[in-house]
Amino acid sequence: MIRRDLAIGLIFLACAIALPFLGPSRYVITQLFLFFLWATVVTQWNLVFGVAGIFSLAPMVLFAFGGYAAGMIGLYLEWSLWVALPIAGLGTVLFSLLIGLACLRLRGAYVALLTLAIAQVVYLLIITDTECFFMDGMTCRNFTGGTRGLAKYGDFGFRDLLGRQDWVMGSYFTGLALLALATLASIIIIRSPLGLAFQALRDNPAYAVSQGISRFKYQLLVFALSAFFTGLAGGIYAGHFSVMGANTLYLSLLLFLLSMMVVGGVGSVWGPLLGAAVLMLTDEALKEVIEYRSIGLGLLLVLFAMFWPKGIAGVLNGVNERLKRRFRSRVRS
Amino acid sequence: MRRKSDGKGTETTARRPLENESRRRFIKGATVAAAGGVAATGTLLADINGGAKAAGKPIPIGGGVPLTGWAATDGIEFKRALELASEEINAMGGILGQPVEPVFEDTKEQGAANIIPAMQRLIDRHEVHAIINGYNTGAVTAEYDTIADAGIIYIHHNTDIVHHQTVGDNPERYSTIFMGDPAEYWYGPGLLQFLNDLDANGLYKRPNNKIAIVTGSQNYSVVIANAIRDSAAKYGWDVSLYETVVIPISEWGPTLAKLRSDPPAVIAVTHWVPQDLAQFMLQFAPTPTNSLIYMQYGPSLAAFREIGKAATDGVLYSTVIGSLQDKIGQDFSDRYRAKFGDSSTPAVGAQVYDSAHYYAIAAALAGGTGGPGEFDQNAKIAARLRRQIHRGVVGTTKFSIPEQAAIPYPDATNDPSLGMPHQYLQIQDWQTEPALVAPSPYQTKQFKMPPWIKA
Repeated sequence: MIRRDLAIGLIFLACAIALPFLGPSRYVITQLFLFFLWATVVTQWNLVFGVAGIFSLAPMVLFAFGGYAAGMIGLYLEWSLWVALPIAGLGTVLFSLLIGLACLRLRGAYVALLTLAIAQVVYLLIITDTECFFMDGMTCRNFTGGTRGLAKYGDFGFRDLLGRQDWVMGSYFTGLALLALATLASIIIIRSPLGLAFQALRDNPAYAVSQGISRFKYQLLVFALSAFFTGLAGGIYAGHFSVMGANTLYLSLLLFLLSMMVVGGVGSVWGPLLGAAVLMLTDEALKEVIEYRSIGLGLLLVLFAMFWPKGIAGVLNGVNERLKRRFRSRVRS
Repeated sequence: MRRKSDGKGTETTARRPLENESRRRFIKGATVAAAGGVAATGTLLADINGGAKAAGKPIPIGGGVPLTGWAATDGIEFKRALELASEEINAMGGILGQPVEPVFEDTKEQGAANIIPAMQRLIDRHEVHAIINGYNTGAVTAEYDTIADAGIIYIHHNTDIVHHQTVGDNPERYSTIFMGDPAEYWYGPGLLQFLNDLDANGLYKRPNNKIAIVTGSQNYSVVIANAIRDSAAKYGWDVSLYETVVIPISEWGPTLAKLRSDPPAVIAVTHWVPQDLAQFMLQFAPTPTNSLIYMQYGPSLAAFREIGKAATDGVLYSTVIGSLQDKIGQDFSDRYRAKFGDSSTPAVGAQVYDSAHYYAIAAALAGGTGGPGEFDQNAKIAARLRRQIHRGVVGTTKFSIPEQAAIPYPDATNDPSLGMPHQYLQIQDWQTEPALVAPSPYQTKQFKMPPWIKA
């Protein structure tokens, strides 16, 4: 299984590396960059939600934490964002561990409520930050950037390095590298004994605990592992756009990402990536009929929830199984 | 008269409104120049076009506006305004005989992740020669680099003081980017000056020097609240309360209790959502204090009066950009409503409408538009825009240098022919349109004492 996953991953990676050299517009490159980031977040969310079965709604608060951490290090310590990025990732791990600890005694919907509440508290802390932390010329700057957003903390330097026409390529390949690493980590976790432990705790917690699997240890571990790449995604987002805002914590964005996972297939390796691709392509297509965008996205989600609850990955697995059975029966006959 | 820039785009001359100038003469002059509605632009643009009819390949003009999400009601007006302006420009021969064609991208919930791709798509896919927007929030001018990379003209109405700093600090890189309205900062000193003028003209005698400031938890509101707070002492006011409320809000009891325990002469609510503000008035009305009430933006929308009804009578509000109630503004509103229906809001669309017209004139005078990558041609248009003074439906648009933001009148210049009127309006009868009570010479009615204030 792991070899098949790695082969699929390598094909995807080769295509993604080759794509910018086929001359797509900068808009396409920017959208693909966003796809890499959202796919990274969803892939990591899938580990917690799909594989470990913890109904966490924390991914975007972790993403925002990573972005704000990178931005604040750049702004207040005046460090390069390349240095700030891994620190932001590690900081997000610590933050996620705290969330994981808070969730240890909770199950199911209560975890969702608590993690959503944490996200809302962070959102409110940012948007109610109205005090002037320092004056930047004639502009009053808040500590977190407030509702305006955190800005002027620098960038990755791609514009200076690659010029104003090609700088977006730097972000593209950074995002791609992140997604590749995050997916590799996800494959290793899901296909390893660690992943089996997560699945055991998800499917039959009492039996898993009786077999010596520590819920405390594994729940914290999955929160920490998924947070690192989610935090890095936030940091890369901050570096690319040169602004980090509380709008990353909007419920609409969280639901958009949740839809990616549902449409792609919860708990599978490639489902979240497929879901991210389908949702972003659908969103793109609906730009031509903008008044139907919300209805179109909602309809897609409803269709999958009703007819294909295991998502695209489930449908593909089903097709694959049917083909295998047909092949075997032909061989026998 | 010597002028100097102080970073806010101020042309610091004598600051008082022109109370002694001849209002009639000014309005007459402006009306002759404009000759009704579109004619100011029309005459000039049609003359430059030399009677040519718009034909051939259209020039794409972009609008990156919120067509879905919380700001969609305004975004739709921005779209309509650009469509109406494009039709009128084309009727005058387009830009040197070439028609313009509006194209739109949705900035959804706004923020950098939505705004920047929308701008990029306008540039890459539609190859727009200019982007003319209403407002977008949450990008903190991050989209400027996308525009600067393409070199096209970008006129927005973000009402954001950060624009001054971004462009002021790097005027060369952002030379094609303009803010078509004054920054939100001007609501602060503008209000305080307006209040002092009421006092000086004997229209309102303040019982004390206290001003209470109530802001919503959104940057736009906070910047205005801070500007009032920071300028209060200079204008002779003491801030008795500075309260931040988390929005949306419908329960104003705790805030009203604080206001009633120490009644100020003025309550300035800088939160702007109409239904929230209407609730404030409904809850204030049963036990009012002897305070003038000033609010932000929300009262300009019909929902405020429809929800608050008679409780909204007497409320003051202001806007740094909006269609005027004179002949030019009224003609525009009539055309707008005739095209888009009575439920449309020309006051919101006016900003984009004017900007499209003065862009067309500047481009025609500069010898044509410039697409992405045509830096020299766009630089010529930008130079024209910097020099141009345009009298449109929102009054005068003249850009401050080097910030490239509209100069407000009377907040930053005492000459109405050089600044965009910062309009003060009062709801005097909730069933009719609000009255424009300042500044002179645009005012249509006198300020009336709110019904809840007892002499």
